[in-house]
Amino acid sequence: MNVIYADNNATTQVAPEVLAALLPYLGEQYFNPSSMYEPARGPKQAISAARVAIARLLGGVQPDEILFTSCATEANNAALFGVARAAGPGRRHIITTAVEHPAVLNVAKELSREGFDVTFLPVDEAGRLDPRELIRALRPDTMLVSIMHANNETGVVFAIESLARLVKETDPAIVVHTDATQTVGKLPIDLCGGMRHVDMLSFSGHKLHAPKGVGALFVRRGTPSRPVQIGGHQESGRRGGTENVAFIVALATALDLAVSGHERDEQHIRYLRDRLERELVARIPLLQVNGAGAERLVNTLNLSCHFIEGEGILYQLSAHGICASSGSACTSGSLEPSHVLRAMKVPFTAAHGSVRFSLSRFNTDEEIERILEVFPTIVANLRRLSPYWDNEHDRPRPEAEHMLHERG
Amino acid sequence: MTWEYSEKTKQLFMDAVHGKAGTHLGEIVDPDGLGEHGSIACGDALRFTFRVERHPSDPIQDRIVEGRYLTFGCTSAIAASEALCALIEQGGYTPIQALKITNQDIVDYLEGLPEQKIHCSVMGAEALEAAVFNWAQKRGVDLHALGIDITRQEQEEGRLVCKCFGLTEPYLRRKISELGLRTIPEITNAVKAGGACMSCHYAPGGLQDLLNEIWGQRPVAFGEQPSAASAQVDLPSAQLSPYQFAKGIERIIAEEIRPRLKQDGGDIEIIDIKDTLVYCQLRGACATCAGAGQTMKMVVEQLLKERFDERIRVITV
Repeated sequence: MNVIYADNNATTQVAPEVLAALLPYLGEQYFNPSSMYEPARGPKQAISAARVAIARLLGGVQPDEILFTSCATEANNAALFGVARAAGPGRRHIITTAVEHPAVLNVAKELSREGFDVTFLPVDEAGRLDPRELIRALRPDTMLVSIMHANNETGVVFAIESLARLVKETDPAIVVHTDATQTVGKLPIDLCGGMRHVDMLSFSGHKLHAPKGVGALFVRRGTPSRPVQIGGHQESGRRGGTENVAFIVALATALDLAVSGHERDEQHIRYLRDRLERELVARIPLLQVNGAGAERLVNTLNLSCHFIEGEGILYQLSAHGICASSGSACTSGSLEPSHVLRAMKVPFTAAHGSVRFSLSRFNTDEEIERILEVFPTIVANLRRLSPYWDNEHDRPRPEAEHMLHERG
Repeated sequence: MTWEYSEKTKQLFMDAVHGKAGTHLGEIVDPDGLGEHGSIACGDALRFTFRVERHPSDPIQDRIVEGRYLTFGCTSAIAASEALCALIEQGGYTPIQALKITNQDIVDYLEGLPEQKIHCSVMGAEALEAAVFNWAQKRGVDLHALGIDITRQEQEEGRLVCKCFGLTEPYLRRKISELGLRTIPEITNAVKAGGACMSCHYAPGGLQDLLNEIWGQRPVAFGEQPSAASAQVDLPSAQLSPYQFAKGIERIIAEEIRPRLKQDGGDIEIIDIKDTLVYCQLRGACATCAGAGQTMKMVVEQLLKERFDERIRVITV
């Protein structure tokens, strides 16, 4: 059975060009880039070239403003803990959002346990962030604002350019961080243009067709931040640890491919996603598109099927070889519905029945066709079992109708 | 970039570059003392030489009679070099007495230096010190026995903190203490450390750590940048309650600003007011106008400043 991979916000397949670029550094180019002898020059130069390339692809920042990490989670930890550790007693307030990835959300909660005051900004029912909420939250002792660029579950994009500007115009001493894990390679990132007010930006390789195990943190020059992973002199002492040369090369190659093919890929992916969304909504009653009213990443479709449970949907999809997810992969271990959907006040009848399809340039129209064939049946199968569904009329039972309006 | 130089600085510089009589450009052949500081890589370098009138029996009583310099650097680096030579010659010092000349003396002679240029005066003082050590070696004077701390060598030895300017930990420690440097920008202004790639600012063992070790934890965070917290203290509007302040802004917007915008088919909404920051959104034709940013600054902010409180800043939402 062919696998249809539609879970690209979780991870992506490694692009063949990326694999080809990284292999030499797992083979003959195994030397430690910090070593002095001649053969180590290759790996050292490879890192340096990757850094220069990434700096250029993010809008022409300085190469030394790019730090390589093991993943976006590490980059987010480095950003939040790093800024907190550089701050003095006069700055104890952190602002973030209620819908961040756990790699920011749980770090913020940890900092609040350490005595920092954290404000979690709410979102509206479409998942949008009202700049008024941010303005209201800003305080004279605010030290850090960390707002994701796009949400991993719903694909809702926050206007980080203008939010960052609002923060910096209010108080230039506040550090602005954004978790851009879902947008680097998908949306243009111009840290010297529209995003010039952003001080720190995290992302990872495996969301853009590089392998798992590499990420990066942009730290604008002069940003007060202490290192978290301390060791050798690598990354100018700001992130110790022998460099993952092969994957750093992969990251730069993958980003280069993503940026150069962006226009074509975006058009292709948008077409597939829009078709999937349009036709599923037409075929399935009471299907809700989460984040529909907001600007969204073109690859993401988060659906809620009222009155059924998401895990059962995933299981059946999997039986058809279709890979999708229900909420964030990182929250799937908990029994609670997604914190993102709850923040959006999605009714409980829908929050549990959420499914996320996230596409990449490797998806095809045939694959979308296949999902369109099986998904309505899967939903119908489960609704047949649902105590709240009137199968005769294919609608909720009268006594369950009110649940549609009970906000999560 | 242009700097605010004193008349004295500008004049010393112009005199030097035109080789006017009484200036000190040049190098003494076979000098009694020679000291260098900086390098081309760092953006400025000074080679300072002096000649003494030798005391027949006691070298300690040698008297400096002439100073010369060759300087690679900016306006203030050259003026500072001139100042150093002038101070030396006017003082009629012995080399040991000359060690008392500090970078502050050079700044005073120049009638002030912009903060970002303090390092030029430090360079002068450093080169002088180096030249005196050189003189002591040549004349067989034991500075250590005279109670003079021979610390200059530290600069060459020790862990490199600022890689861009090649500055070591012992050197930076000495400079932070000697010059009373309290913040990273002060260090950068004085000795350039941390002025290029900035990666040593918060690295372990970096500039902030040195400051913390020498002066203790800094009292407030981000002290080097203006913050809303510090701006909050002495506002004239502090006499008004937040309610009165907001009412005042509303009134001016309603009476003077909105009518103007309406003429062009636009409107304005106050989103929030925090201290003296007024968050606004332009509406209607103004919202999509290419000159929206200009309108906010030139019309809205300007009028609020003139009519109500000059510290008001308008932020577009």
